Amino acid sequence: MKKRNVLVVMLVLVSLALPMFAQGTSDQAPKQEIRVLLANHPYGELLKTKIPEFEAKTGIKVNYESLQESQLTNKLTTEFATKSSTVDVFMTRPLQEGLMFIKNGWYEGLTKYDFSDYPSNSVDIGRKNNVAYIVPLVTEWQVLYYRKDLLQKAGLSVPTTFVELEAAAKALNKDGVAGFASRGKGAAAVTQLSSYVYNFGGRYLENGKAVFDSPEALEATRFYGRLLGNYGPQGVTSMSWENVMPVFQAGKVAMWTDASVFYGQIVDPSKTSIPASDIGVAQLPKGPKGDSPFIVVSWGMAMSSASKNKSAAQQFLDWATSKELAVEGMLSNITMARDSAWANAEVRKVMNPGLVATQAHAAKNGYPYDRPFMSSVGQARDLIGEVIIESINTKGTSTRLAALAQEKVKAVDELLKTDGEYGL
Amino acid sequence: MKKNPVHSILFLLTLALIIIPILFPFIWMLMSSFKTQVDIISWPPKFVFTPVMQNYERVFIEQDFLHYMKNSLIVSVVSVFFSLVLGLPAAYSIARYKQKKLSIFILIARLMPGISFLMPWYIVFSRLRLMDSYIALILSHMLIALPLVVWVMSPYFDSVPRELEEAAMVDGLTQQSAFVKILLPLSGPGIVTATTLSFIFSWNNFMFSQVLSQQKTRTLPIAVYNFLSYVEVDWGAVMAAAVTIMAPAIILTMFFQKYVVKGLTMGAVKG
Repeated sequence: MKKRNVLVVMLVLVSLALPMFAQGTSDQAPKQEIRVLLANHPYGELLKTKIPEFEAKTGIKVNYESLQESQLTNKLTTEFATKSSTVDVFMTRPLQEGLMFIKNGWYEGLTKYDFSDYPSNSVDIGRKNNVAYIVPLVTEWQVLYYRKDLLQKAGLSVPTTFVELEAAAKALNKDGVAGFASRGKGAAAVTQLSSYVYNFGGRYLENGKAVFDSPEALEATRFYGRLLGNYGPQGVTSMSWENVMPVFQAGKVAMWTDASVFYGQIVDPSKTSIPASDIGVAQLPKGPKGDSPFIVVSWGMAMSSASKNKSAAQQFLDWATSKELAVEGMLSNITMARDSAWANAEVRKVMNPGLVATQAHAAKNGYPYDRPFMSSVGQARDLIGEVIIESINTKGTSTRLAALAQEKVKAVDELLKTDGEYGL
Repeated sequence: MKKNPVHSILFLLTLALIIIPILFPFIWMLMSSFKTQVDIISWPPKFVFTPVMQNYERVFIEQDFLHYMKNSLIVSVVSVFFSLVLGLPAAYSIARYKQKKLSIFILIARLMPGISFLMPWYIVFSRLRLMDSYIALILSHMLIALPLVVWVMSPYFDSVPRELEEAAMVDGLTQQSAFVKILLPLSGPGIVTATTLSFIFSWNNFMFSQVLSQQKTRTLPIAVYNFLSYVEVDWGAVMAAAVTIMAPAIILTMFFQKYVVKGLTMGAVKG
């Protein structure tokens, strides 16, 4: 009796589990298939609509999945680290994860790819020992978004230097509208502070050592803190772009410095309460010692070195990064990395002239990093973020800012040493 | 004694003071899910607005949330079911035979941070070609549900007088059938508690599903991230998705609330 009961329970359990096992294994057709991971990014959305064309043309079945960027990084890291990945092609953020992925050998070297249509510094970021690993997809650079109507009403012209920027921020900071906004949330603010640091003549890293405690970098951090502390929106130290943008869209910010990618969002009448004609895009004002906003490859595409379908993966990569699709991307307001896409006549006709002009300026004078370029970039951003928050909270007047920065520089140097990247 | 009107006003005020901060986020979420992006971000906040359905259209038509809902349902229901099948006898055994060490061992499995299981699971499931299958998710979610069932139920079983069972066995039942026929029906509220709680935990689980699911088996909490993109956060759709996800859990809890409280306190006051 007892034994029979146990047997029955076991049988029921097994029979319940069987169909699930079957589901897990039955759909493996012999047809050529690849697995692609995309980001929740407008270019990923564009690719999704085009993938059926690729499948029809090549007969390769594409199983794609699209993920929010930090989920994407987590997933890729888990899959690659456990050496059991089935990913063939994926979107990747060169500055955030590129160095680590290259070091771990997770990217496939792209020896057959033609990189002649890309600015060389955009390819260099994903290159090691003369092998390129990442195809640049999308670039972004820092710009100044501003409210034409408010500047006009105050009788001001678009600021072109930091001195003018501060004066304008002060003048526009009234009637419940913040004069100036930029990211204030520690780690997230690091990328937006970068251009300020460059324009004051500083850097985050130099020759593989952290140098953001230099007088120039400190001056920039103080300036950034002074602007945001005095003229920024309330609670700015907990704001990243996803918090600043809605405030700008609601008409409560007069000037906003951030990456160029947000232009499409802030002029979309279904998302913003400000008429598009009142919104302008200008290059980031010059600093006392520089005029080089960041211009970075925010997204690239790469192949997995563990891919078992390399020829199909290569075909997909070539197609997904093709000139034709780059033009399509530009036409849907995505700022692509390919030079030819910017030269395209059709594109130039519809592209916002402000974006074209700031891109040209940044491409010529810009600096290709917006964050410390190192494997432990996430931790380094947290550390620098603390310095930024201290500066904002004290409106740039903190007496312990230099000491704090020195302490964080030491910590970042330690990270570099641990990763074997110090002094390189 | 007659009720003092001042007292009842004070009572209502206190009640409001407690309820408003708790309910406000929910109400705000519900309202936002019917607003356009422009209305959501407008300042000062709008309490009167023209409701729109576009957010729910995005959730159910563009993103096919019914598919994710189906996945979540399959995973939660099946994992809770198996947790009950295995957990109830286990809890009984622990209660009857005072298997303290065993129960602590089970508790440790629950207290270990879930993330430490993820890597090994990932390796095992991908070698078994079980990635993106329901079975991987169900097994992982049982780690959440099973200890909960055991820990809610064993004090519960302990509180049922042993004499009931013994009487049944004197009348000719085996211990197993006494457990099924006598003990389980008496433990209704406890089982409902364990089921509800483990269902909610499994329903809301993010971490396991994030790594172990792919497109086919993606569950609701992961799918919410479909509305967070590199250049925008679609707040309206996020709110609509949140309402969609919370609805079943809230309905379930409202339905079984009185059992849940009863079940949780049941084992608490025994001598």
